[in-house]
Amino acid sequence: MEWHYNMNRNKRISLIVKVLFWAGLIIFFSWAFTNGMFQPIFENTGTFFNLLGEHMLLVLISGSLAIFTAIPAGIFLTRPQFQKAEFFAVNLANLGQTIPSLAILALAMGFIGIGMEAALVALFAYSVLPVLQNTIAGINSVDEDTKDAARGMGLTNMQILWRIELPNAAYSIIAGVRTALVMNIGTAALAYLIGGGGFGVWIFSGIELFDNAYLISGAVPVSMLAIAVDYLFRGMQLILVPKGLRLARQAVS
Amino acid sequence: MIQFNDVSKVYNGSVKAVDNVSFNVEDGEFVILVGPSGCGKTTLLRMVNQLEEITEGEIILNNQSVKELNKIEMRRKIGYVIQSNGLFPNMTIEKNVMIVPDLLGWDRKKRQDRFNHLMELIGLHPDEFRKRYPHELSGGQQQRIGVARALAADPPVMLMDEPFGALDPIIRNRLQEEFLQIQKEVKKTILFVSHDIDEAVKMGDKIALLRDGEIMQYNRPEEILNHPKNEFVSKFVGQDRVLKSTSLYSVKDLDNEVGLSPYDKSAHIKAVQEDTSLRIILSMLLNQEADQLVIEDGNGNRKGSLTLEHVEKFLQAKVGENADGVALQHE
Amino acid sequence: MLAINDFLNYFSVNSEQILDYTFEHIQLVGLAIIISILIGVPLGIYLTTNEELAGTVLQITSIIMTIPSIALFGIMIPILSIVGQGIGFLPALIALVLYSQLPIIRNTYTGIKDVDPNIRDAAKGIGMTTFQRLWKVEIPNAMPLIMAGVRTATVLNIGIGAIAAYIGAGGLGSLINQGISRSNNTMVLVGAVVVSILAIIADLLLKYIQKKFTPKGI
Repeated sequence: MEWHYNMNRNKRISLIVKVLFWAGLIIFFSWAFTNGMFQPIFENTGTFFNLLGEHMLLVLISGSLAIFTAIPAGIFLTRPQFQKAEFFAVNLANLGQTIPSLAILALAMGFIGIGMEAALVALFAYSVLPVLQNTIAGINSVDEDTKDAARGMGLTNMQILWRIELPNAAYSIIAGVRTALVMNIGTAALAYLIGGGGFGVWIFSGIELFDNAYLISGAVPVSMLAIAVDYLFRGMQLILVPKGLRLARQAVS
Repeated sequence: MIQFNDVSKVYNGSVKAVDNVSFNVEDGEFVILVGPSGCGKTTLLRMVNQLEEITEGEIILNNQSVKELNKIEMRRKIGYVIQSNGLFPNMTIEKNVMIVPDLLGWDRKKRQDRFNHLMELIGLHPDEFRKRYPHELSGGQQQRIGVARALAADPPVMLMDEPFGALDPIIRNRLQEEFLQIQKEVKKTILFVSHDIDEAVKMGDKIALLRDGEIMQYNRPEEILNHPKNEFVSKFVGQDRVLKSTSLYSVKDLDNEVGLSPYDKSAHIKAVQEDTSLRIILSMLLNQEADQLVIEDGNGNRKGSLTLEHVEKFLQAKVGENADGVALQHE
Repeated sequence: MLAINDFLNYFSVNSEQILDYTFEHIQLVGLAIIISILIGVPLGIYLTTNEELAGTVLQITSIIMTIPSIALFGIMIPILSIVGQGIGFLPALIALVLYSQLPIIRNTYTGIKDVDPNIRDAAKGIGMTTFQRLWKVEIPNAMPLIMAGVRTATVLNIGIGAIAAYIGAGGLGSLINQGISRSNNTMVLVGAVVVSILAIIADLLLKYIQKKFTPKGI
C-alpha cells in the first residue's frame, strides 16, 4: 500500500515539475511576444536569414571538416602500431577540451587576425577534439574477446574494422559528433567578436545597445538551433546504431 | 591430422610459455588440453590457428606446416570457440552464425539451409532465433550459438578454449552432453582447452596434461586416471581418481574383465542396463538401494548379476599395482 | 607578428591587474560551484528515490546545458532587468549555477544508483537506518563520481565565466574583451592563455582531489 502511495506521489511531483517547466516557457514566450521582443525577426527578416545562413555555414564547414579528419584519425590511432601516438592524442584531446571556447577564439584571432578564417579555424580546432576522443573511446570499447573470436575465424583486419569495430563504435562516434556540433553552434555565436558573423551579431549588439529585442531575437533562435541539432542527433543515434547494440547497452545499464 | 613437433613459445626472449611440446592428434579425435592456469594450454591452442606465433618447432596440419599457410584462409577452415563466446553484439544470430560462410561467399540459399541445419543440431529453433541478437539470449544459448558458428563452414578441425567454463554447473553439464552428441554426428578433430579434470575425463578421447609449458602425460582418460605417470599427474587428477575412473566404464567392460555371477531367479532384484556407467552402479550399491543388481542387455535379456565385490575386483584389475591410494579397500 | 617579449612584458607591467581579474574569476566560479553543490547533490540524492522525477529533471537540465552560454545570457538579461539586475555579477552567477546542475545532479544520481546492491543489502542487513546507509555507505561509494561531476562543472564554468565579462561580470574575460576592442593582440592572448591555464590547473587539482576522495579499494 505504501509503495503504491509513493508511486503516485512520485508521478505527481514529476508532473508538477514538467508543468512548471512548460508553463515557464509559455510565460516567457508570451511575455517576449507582447513586449515586441521578436520584432527584429519580423522587421528585418532578410538580415535574420542572412545571420542564420552565416551561422549554419560556420558550423557546417568547421563541423564537417572536423568529422572528416577526426574519424579517420581516430581509426588510425587505434591501430596497434600507433599505440604511443594514441596515448598522446587522447591526453591532448583531454587537455584541449579544458581550454575555454572564448580562449580558443582569442588565440585564433591573435595568430590569424580578425575575420571569418580565424573563426573557422577556432571552431574546427574545438570540434575535432570530442569527435576524435569519442571515436577512439568507441573503438577501444569493443570487447577484446569479440575481436579475438573474429580474428580466430579468419576475418581480415579490414573486415574486423568495418564489420565489428565501427558498428560497435557508432553510438560513441555519433555522440561525439553531437557534442561537437552543439558546442560549435554555441561557439559560433561568439565568432562575431573576431569578425565571424552569425547570430552573435544581434546578441552582442543587444548587449552593447541595451536593446532587449535584439538580444532575444538573436539568443532564442540560436538556442532553438542548438536544441534542434541535439535532438536530431539523438534520433540518429536511435536509427543508425544497430539494434543489437542498443539491447547490449540496455543490458548493461 | 594435427602434429606438434618440438613446439615452443617464448615471450620477451625469456619466459617459456610452451616448452618443447610434441604430440599427435588423429583424425576425428577429441583431445583435451588440461592443466592449472598458466600451464600454457591456451597458448598451445592459439598457436594452431596462429593467433600466437610459434617461436620454435612446427605444427603440422594436414601435412602442411601452419607457418606456410595463409593465416586468413586457414582460420576460416578451423572452427574457433572461446569461453566468453565472442558473439558480435551488432549482428543478429543468423549473421553471427553465418559469418564465415558469408566471408567464403556462399549463396543465400546454401547459407539459409546450413543455418537451419546447425540450429537444429544445437537444439534451438531456427526461426525463433534468426532475427534475435546475442544480448537477448541466455548464457547457455549464447554458448550454443558460439558452437554453431564454429561449425558453420563445416571445418574439419575445431579449437575450443574453455567453451563451457563460464556457465553454471547444471548448464555446463547439459552442454557437455549435447556437444558429445553433436561430435558423434560431425566427427571433428577437436582440440579443447579445460582446467577441469572432470570435464576432460568426461569429454576427451585423449587428455594432454600440461604443467609449466610441458606435457606431463598424454593418453586416454582411463590411463591417466589409473596409471598416473608422476606425482603431479596423480595430484592433479585427485585422490578420488579411482572413483572418477568409474564413470569411464560400463557394466559391459566389467563383464568382459571379471565376468558376472549367475542371478537368483526367485528373488526380487533391481535390474539395470548393461551400458550403465559403473559410477551409477557403485552409487546404487553404496546407498543401499540393493546389494545385488541384475544386468540386462539392450533387448531385456538377463545376463547375470553383480555385487560390490565385482566392482572392486574390476577396479583392482584396471588400476593394477600402480594404484597407491585405492579408494575401495575391503576390510 | 607578435613576439614573446611583448607577451612577457605585458605580464610584468600588468601583473597586479591580471591577478585581480584572476581573483574575480575564481570568486565567481567558486561561489557558483558551492551553490551548485548545495543544490545539485541533495537533489541528485533525492532523485534516486523518485525515478519519474529523475527522468524529467535530467531532461530539463540537459536542455539548459544545450543552450549556448552567450544565448542564455542574452535571454536572462531582459528577464532580470525587470528586477534591475540585467547585467553584472548576478546574471553570470545564475547562469553558471544553471549550467553546473546537469553534471552535478547526473553524477550524484548515477553514483548513488550504481552502488552495488549487495553492499546496500549488507548495510540493511547489519541494521543501518536509511540515513546511516546514505551517509556511511552510499555517499562514500558515489564520491568519485560526484567529484568528477564537480570537476566537469568547474572547468565548464571557468570557460563560461570568461564570456560573462561581456555582461559586465568582470574576470579574465575582461582582458580578451578589452583587448579586442582596443585591437591589442597581446592583451587578448594574455587573457586567453591565463584563462586556459586556470582551467587546466582547476582540472588537474580536482582530478587529484577526486583521487583522494576515492576510498581505497574502489
